[in-house]
Amino acid sequence: MNLTIDTKKTDSLLEITLNGEIDAYTAPKLRDTIFPLSEKNGIKMIIDLSGVSYMDSTGLGVFVGVFKNVKANGGHFQLNGLSGRLQRLFEITGLADIIDVNRQIEGEAK
Amino acid sequence: MDFREGMEHKYRELLENYIKDQSEQALYAGQKFSRKTIEHKISPEEIVSLHKSLLVEMHPELPKDVIDSFDLLLEVMMGYGLTYRENESLRSKQAELRSEMEIAANVQQTLLGTTIPEVDGLDIGAISVPARHMNGDYYHFVQDENNCISVAIADVIGKGIPAALCMSMIKYAMESIPENRLGPGSILENLNRIVEQNVDPSMFITMFYGLYNPETNILSYASAGHEPGFYYNAAEKSYAELKAKGLLLGIEKKTKYMNYEKQVSPGDMVILLSDGVTECRTDEGFIERETLVGYIDKYIHLSAQEIVNKVFKDLEKLQNFQLRDDFTLIILKRKV
Amino acid sequence: MSIQSCVTIINEWDIVAARQLGRNVAKELGFGTVDQARITTAISELARNIYLYAGKGQICIDKLYEGGKPGVRINAIDNGPGISDIRQVMEDGYSTSGGLGAGLPGVKRLMDQFVIESNPEEGTQITATKWLR
Repeated sequence: MNLTIDTKKTDSLLEITLNGEIDAYTAPKLRDTIFPLSEKNGIKMIIDLSGVSYMDSTGLGVFVGVFKNVKANGGHFQLNGLSGRLQRLFEITGLADIIDVNRQIEGEAK
Repeated sequence: MDFREGMEHKYRELLENYIKDQSEQALYAGQKFSRKTIEHKISPEEIVSLHKSLLVEMHPELPKDVIDSFDLLLEVMMGYGLTYRENESLRSKQAELRSEMEIAANVQQTLLGTTIPEVDGLDIGAISVPARHMNGDYYHFVQDENNCISVAIADVIGKGIPAALCMSMIKYAMESIPENRLGPGSILENLNRIVEQNVDPSMFITMFYGLYNPETNILSYASAGHEPGFYYNAAEKSYAELKAKGLLLGIEKKTKYMNYEKQVSPGDMVILLSDGVTECRTDEGFIERETLVGYIDKYIHLSAQEIVNKVFKDLEKLQNFQLRDDFTLIILKRKV
Repeated sequence: MSIQSCVTIINEWDIVAARQLGRNVAKELGFGTVDQARITTAISELARNIYLYAGKGQICIDKLYEGGKPGVRINAIDNGPGISDIRQVMEDGYSTSGGLGAGLPGVKRLMDQFVIESNPEEGTQITATKWLR
């Protein structure tokens, strides 16, 4: 199984659509593609995960790294289309509270 | 060198036999011959050359073009011979690496070793099996002077050697924290600061930390993004998720961790696990948490250590003996 | 004592010329077909490296006699970019992973002796010898 990464860029909005599996083998490719994009100041990065059938913790590592980078550059990071399983993964790890929509705790943590 | 000398004679015999009656038996002898030549590191171009020279000897009437064609074949086989020898050398290098890995895994076991404490009234079982050589899961038991048992179960996000190296650091970080009656939440807060400062920014750790007081039979616990365990209520014969909220270690410096408490009754069990247990994937997809509970329930009459061993064996079999992730399962059972 | 002749490597045809030179010398000294093929394969590899990575260089073939024993010595010299990590290129699987052929470890295996000297920006000199058994 592989991972395809499609990016669509308009001004400061960056939409990324992922399809396939994110695991130890595809995660490096994902990191190498989206990490440089997160360096840009004030970028709004939206990643669509509805086509992702499997993601393990290595994928989580990539997203957290990118999220931190986007935030450090004053941007916004959003993950869309999480499956029930992924949603649960983000909730368990507490990441659902700092990534995506829940800004209350994000503000508090600062 | 003995084989090389006899090789020509042997091959001539094979060739003669085969040319005579094209029997399957002669071909089988050829196959056995090739096993010998490989064993004695005879390269393919040497076989081609031998074949050519024997043909010339045995059949001088053969047209020159046919004989010449073997020179081309020999040149073509050259590359295969080299690749074969390269593979041989890579294989021995791989064996070397493997034995180094095994040593590293042993070192890790020694570094991270923990003994399951003996406590009156509490039956403890634990198993931790790495998917590859080195384990990115970790569990740790400490028994303090008041007989309180602390148990930590952790998982590095990532697998293999980098995860294992990271885990070794965590152990020493834990030992550096003064345990003088800090609650699980404060311990996680301390660890979080250390991990945040010292570990690679794309590496994170999940941890569940529990403190069991055998006097009061209260388990207090906190979780840093760790896969929730289960709580078995013996009176109701029911399993519930052991819920605790908290962010992964190593993300935000000032993260706070809540303390939770649970009164443990006789026969109750606290089941802690790593995501390698729930991420157990079969041909039909992931196993459901309910399925996992079913496996545990099947062995509930056994001792804690027997339960974890048997559940591991069952899940290993379910995955056709291929672990995708490190697997750790701990059970604390209050004796009746 | 040695008798030397050289081929300048600039394009792919020169690789063939170098091979031919090597084969002639090997044949003359009495090497069998298998060893001839080994020597020419080694020459090919070294000449290709010059052609691909240095752009220009020389392959020289010597006849050697040591204690009455004849041998062929290949000298591959270029002033190309050189190799910064010789240990790496001498590792099995390094150059061949891209399907580029035998690589330097292959040349070393084909010949009896192998010496490499290289400095970044100064070029590379490789000497490989095969003795008649």
